[in-house]
Amino acid sequence: MSDFLRIMENEVQIVALSFMAIVYIIRLLWMFHFAAAQELTTPVGDTRVGISYSMLNVVMPWTMESTRTHWPFYIQFVIFHLAVIMGISATFIIPYWPGLFKLNSVVIMFQIVLAAATVVGILRLIRRMTNPVMRLISTPDDYFSLVLMTLFFASGVFAVPNTYEVSEWPLILFFIMTTFFLIYVPFSKISHYLYYPFTRYFLGKTMGHRGVFPRKTGGELPAGLK
Amino acid sequence: MSEKSINILDVVNLPLDIKEHEKAVEENIPSVKEGNLKIYNPDGDNVKKLLTLLKAKLSRQVVGSMVGCVHCGMCTESCHYALARPDDPTMAPAYKADQIRRIFKKHFDWTGKIVPWWVHAGDPKDDEELNRLKNIVFGTCTGCRRCTLNCPMGVDTATLIRLTRGLLAELGIVPEGVFQVSRDQWETGNQMAVSEEDYLDTIEWMEDESQDELEDPSLKIPIDKEDCDFMYTVNPREIKYDPRSLGAAAKIFHLAGESWTMPKWGWDMTNFGLFSGDDKLGGFVARNLYEAAKRLRARRIVISECGHGYRSSRWEGYNWGKYKQDLPSESVLITLIRYINEGRIKVDPSKNSLPITFHDSCNIARSGDLTEEPRWLLHRLCTDFREMHPNRADNFCCTGGGGALSMVEYKPLRMEVAKIKADQLTATGAKVVCTICHNCIDGLTDVIKHYKLDMKVVQILELVENALVLPEK
Ligand code: SF4
Ligand code: SF4
Repeated sequence: MSDFLRIMENEVQIVALSFMAIVYIIRLLWMFHFAAAQELTTPVGDTRVGISYSMLNVVMPWTMESTRTHWPFYIQFVIFHLAVIMGISATFIIPYWPGLFKLNSVVIMFQIVLAAATVVGILRLIRRMTNPVMRLISTPDDYFSLVLMTLFFASGVFAVPNTYEVSEWPLILFFIMTTFFLIYVPFSKISHYLYYPFTRYFLGKTMGHRGVFPRKTGGELPAGLK
Repeated sequence: MSEKSINILDVVNLPLDIKEHEKAVEENIPSVKEGNLKIYNPDGDNVKKLLTLLKAKLSRQVVGSMVGCVHCGMCTESCHYALARPDDPTMAPAYKADQIRRIFKKHFDWTGKIVPWWVHAGDPKDDEELNRLKNIVFGTCTGCRRCTLNCPMGVDTATLIRLTRGLLAELGIVPEGVFQVSRDQWETGNQMAVSEEDYLDTIEWMEDESQDELEDPSLKIPIDKEDCDFMYTVNPREIKYDPRSLGAAAKIFHLAGESWTMPKWGWDMTNFGLFSGDDKLGGFVARNLYEAAKRLRARRIVISECGHGYRSSRWEGYNWGKYKQDLPSESVLITLIRYINEGRIKVDPSKNSLPITFHDSCNIARSGDLTEEPRWLLHRLCTDFREMHPNRADNFCCTGGGGALSMVEYKPLRMEVAKIKADQLTATGAKVVCTICHNCIDGLTDVIKHYKLDMKVVQILELVENALVLPEK
């Protein structure tokens, strides 16, 4: 392995990761410096149940009409985000647990998910460019982030076999993508996962408190009889 | 877009009407003098003021919704405006919320501050742009919160719309109707400017009518009676236009042997602050109610049938008014369930034999807690109940939410998007649509008239009154 690749896989990644972590911490502190609105009413429902229900919506697509009636979008979402987890894991597995990618089955599994996510990324890009609503609401950051993610997945497909002895370029490309990604993410919409717990927590808290979450589907006992 | 589809620019460019502002200033009414009702000042630096106000109103919850949107577009089809106007992308909830989000980004988001074009951050240039913002947040959204519940990220678009309305209300940049109703509620404590004399007269009239109908002179509608089991609060519409629901309530409470009262002041459970986004107005109106109950030493507050009234009085009002809830408050539906369950009143469902469907009010199903309660009652009050689809928290707005009924200039658009509701109503095959909201009555009546549906609108109290089995004398 060349020194360049080794530095890319180790020192550069650590610096980029630290940078991202610092920016995220600042971002979290920034979020916390806004006062949370207070709730002064007595509850009808269970706030904690509401919060859990809200946070778990990601694995309960049937609870929202938007996902319930758009299964292809939900499947795309799952593939895309699974690939994010696998792609990021790969950036650690390659330098610190290379043995795992000696297993053919693991490599193939990673490649399938990353390749599927690349296709999803392209489909999402097409949708963003052709659907009038998506075109209207999309910012350059939305397009750029999507392209970035798609390229990250695509580079991951070639990087996970970790065959630097054959060619280093797929790995160099993958780690350059990762570095850029780590530095750019906190300033882009990709950092939405940082906000997700906040938004879902607050929505769940309010809705749980009021008894709206968990959503009622019929047959629940009226409050007057509880 | 269908032929009848109106040009959205005709809505977005509607001018700001300030005739009523001038009149209020001329008359030097107390709410203006005390700075509660905001008058538009063309010479004020309104854009700058908006930014200052925005900064002051940012809570952690609001910031979460500002930064959380990933522009996935999943909320688009939740909105009846977007569904009814599929070729108009400006109806998408994310687009509407982006109108305030772009201002937020310009001033509070790192990327937006440094490279605004990259994330579509920007300021309104002048008052004309603020007026366009007014037309978007008041004219193209009923604050129904359907998009909120359908956002995978948990972004509360409806809250952002209301926040924007509130900022504009502080600048006096609001539709004329919003200004008028806010003025009336500040000035008289109720949103229809019902005088105390009219209020008391109507109650007396309803008391007489109810006594006659039950042939029972002991029936009373007590005013300002202390130490009752509950204080009953109503929508001014019940006093001004449709007091039958008050008469029905009086009869039912009497038959149930209830100890109840109505307050002389603080009786309006509606709250225009919810629609105008003005938390100060919201807090003022809600506190009137809570303080009245305290003054009368009532053990509970019972809220008559009203969607936004219930949401405001039961939930938001305490927070706006910074008033820690000290008494239980409940919808009259809960009271009715208790009566039927305890055998305090008897009902015969065969007296309501027409096919009935139920319209869930947005403010109750998505921002409140009552979806099973009306159904429990309906199953005991009629013989042919037909569920509307989608229902409960997925139901569509009656199209009159968010104060839309007071903003006549947006009515053509409201009626166009009401097609979604009309289709939903028609599909039930019902002859009667029941709702637990006075606002929805008017909203649905408009839909029924406009789309020539063979249907009428009723409320639960009316159905209970109709189904009552009177005790043998
Ligand atoms: S508000 Fe939610 S559903 Fe709508 S575009 Fe934003 S993230 Fe997507
Ligand atoms: S709150 Fe309702 S009307 Fe407003 S944008 Fe959302 S779905 Fe549409």
